[in-house]
Amino acid sequence: MSDERIDPMNLTAQLHYSAAGNPPSTLPESAISNAYPGLEFDIRNIWRRLLVGIELHEADNYVVSADAGHERLVGRRLLTVADHDVIGGLVGPTRPGAGSGPLTTPTNPDGVTMLEWSNSLADVLARHVGQAVPCLFTSGPAPNPVGKPAKLPDPGFEVVELEVRPLFATSAETGDPLAVIAEEMAGPGDLTRGLCSPWQNDYRECACYYWAASRPDYVNVEDTAAGTTTGNHWFAKDREPRVYVLDNRFDSRLVSYDDLFQDWQGRLRFIVGGDDAPEHLDPEADGR
Amino acid sequence: MTASGLFEASTPVHPDVHLLDTDAGPRVLLADGSRLFGVGQALYDRIDAARRDPDPRAVDVLLADLGLDAPRQVDDLAPAPPPVRALSLAVAQKCNLGCTYCYARQGDFGGPAKNMPEATAFAAVDTLFRDAAPGERVNLAFLGGEPLINRPVVRAATDYAVTVSRRTGIPVTFSITTNGTLLTPEDGEFFEAHGFAVTVSLDGVGARHDLLRPHRDGRGSYRRVMDRVAPLLAVQRRMQVSARVTVTPLNLDLPRTLDEFTAAGFHGVGFSPMLSSPTGQGEMELPELAEMLEQMTACGEEFLRRALAGRRYPFTNLVTALREIHRGTHRPYPCGAGAGYLGVSADGDLSACHRFVGDDDGAMGDLATGPDDAKRARWLTDRHVHRQEPCSGCWARYLCGGGCHHEVIRRGRPACDYIRGWLHHCLSVYSRLLAARPDYFAG
Repeated sequence: MSDERIDPMNLTAQLHYSAAGNPPSTLPESAISNAYPGLEFDIRNIWRRLLVGIELHEADNYVVSADAGHERLVGRRLLTVADHDVIGGLVGPTRPGAGSGPLTTPTNPDGVTMLEWSNSLADVLARHVGQAVPCLFTSGPAPNPVGKPAKLPDPGFEVVELEVRPLFATSAETGDPLAVIAEEMAGPGDLTRGLCSPWQNDYRECACYYWAASRPDYVNVEDTAAGTTTGNHWFAKDREPRVYVLDNRFDSRLVSYDDLFQDWQGRLRFIVGGDDAPEHLDPEADGR
Repeated sequence: MTASGLFEASTPVHPDVHLLDTDAGPRVLLADGSRLFGVGQALYDRIDAARRDPDPRAVDVLLADLGLDAPRQVDDLAPAPPPVRALSLAVAQKCNLGCTYCYARQGDFGGPAKNMPEATAFAAVDTLFRDAAPGERVNLAFLGGEPLINRPVVRAATDYAVTVSRRTGIPVTFSITTNGTLLTPEDGEFFEAHGFAVTVSLDGVGARHDLLRPHRDGRGSYRRVMDRVAPLLAVQRRMQVSARVTVTPLNLDLPRTLDEFTAAGFHGVGFSPMLSSPTGQGEMELPELAEMLEQMTACGEEFLRRALAGRRYPFTNLVTALREIHRGTHRPYPCGAGAGYLGVSADGDLSACHRFVGDDDGAMGDLATGPDDAKRARWLTDRHVHRQEPCSGCWARYLCGGGCHHEVIRRGRPACDYIRGWLHHCLSVYSRLLAARPDYFAG
């Protein structure tokens, strides 16, 4: 450690410390660690295993897998947990100036959508840890959204009792909850596995100026005698001919997802002043 | 380090920064948020220079440069009076002891001796639960005087609170502060059944205790208290029985006291200097506070030796300080008096805390009309540490909170050097323990 080292010791020091070089978003109070994939973690993943025996999709009320004994629930939709709805009706105008009405579509005839897990399940977690609670499912696979029945019982729906898992791990020493998410809820890597991966994925995915994907587009630009310009798409595998290939992820002249996942560091180039940077900087040449 | 060394090392230089040269290395405490950092020597020297710079912005500029600036954790605004979550009932404004320094003037607070009627205690319980917000827990404390003089009301109020707790779903915890002379094995069973925190006032071992806490006829009380506490110490599981030692110039023998009570089986032993008594008798002055500080640090060194060896040593002052330092506890008040905590007199009057019973300075309404929120708001505004002097210039203000309101209003702040010296020592112990046994702070 250098003589200028700083070591945050107690908890408040650690919480508020901004290490040299880290952006403000690394502090908990300003981080984007929210309910959508960011660069820190995707909190939706902690809810997937809240109910013992099934695993939910992180962004849908859809059962993606189940333990032995609950296999029949795979592919079904979960509608309520301990009488808390996990879906809500969609209402709004269908054209400018029109009044609000149910937003139904042929694939969503009931006009419902899943409520964000932290909102719909936090109360269940607060009150029912370790308890079995009634969970209302569709009685068969439901690839599309389904609304609640007008009344129960209804042959299209089934109530199954499932136990609510604790969110936090327990101290082996004291038996008290620890400030650590239990591994049964989210194992190593679970919270970060769906995050943005700009180099491998988001640069290819988003051509927009979404913060994780803002990138060069039209590079090596030169004026022509005709008053127009020529140049390359940043993703062009070859810089000759100098022509802008319209972005299309299936065009073999542009780098693909596979190319990026296999060799992003070889495919992507630094751009300096709008042009491809020289492949190799010679430290001797400019006296550095 | 000697007391004079601690006094000097902890002298305020800058209100936002304090520096410590510990055995575990140089340390920086930022008062805002009670944030503690280990630093290299060069950085320590730069911060030291900045805090002594006549330019008041020098510290701010340096902290920003180091990434150590942070949003202010404590502002000048007093919080709105929170729901009352703790009440202490002066169930008996009378006492069978004649302690010379007693803030309650031998138990009756300077007025006629009286017991709290059961109906008043029940009304207090109703107020406690009515003001609790959902999801909170409440605490019911019994004080006096000597609360066990009015044992039937202690028991009835406890049972009633349990009933209300079950009905409302709001958990309740109990505590009692007693001189120990009237304790019975049945009391022990009752306290154990309800998980009481039992605090026994014991001001030293043997003759030293007898000198300070005699019966009214002059007989000593030590042997009797220890005999009566013994059955409680033997059965305590849910309940915790602690000793509270009020330190005066006559009982400055802390390590022996701590060892004796630890060996006896107390769950915790805490020391508190006598800073203000109605008669002025027994009050600590600077030389005695210096001696107390040296004895406290001696107890602290023994705590550290045992903690490093993985053993428990129930020196409450240090255990609490270490926990608060680790969490970075920072507060604009020393305690919850007048905020979430109020005292109830035998007549049902509310006050800022148990020490202000019968005292207009801390009057906060009564049970019939409820807590006086206007008075509580004014109290919280006036008592905010930013409005106290010399607190606003002191690095320790958010760890200390400005000192016991009752003592400060009665006597001022004669113990600032002592408190800063002690906190300085606690920060050093924290640094050493965190380096050697980080597992102590896990969980």
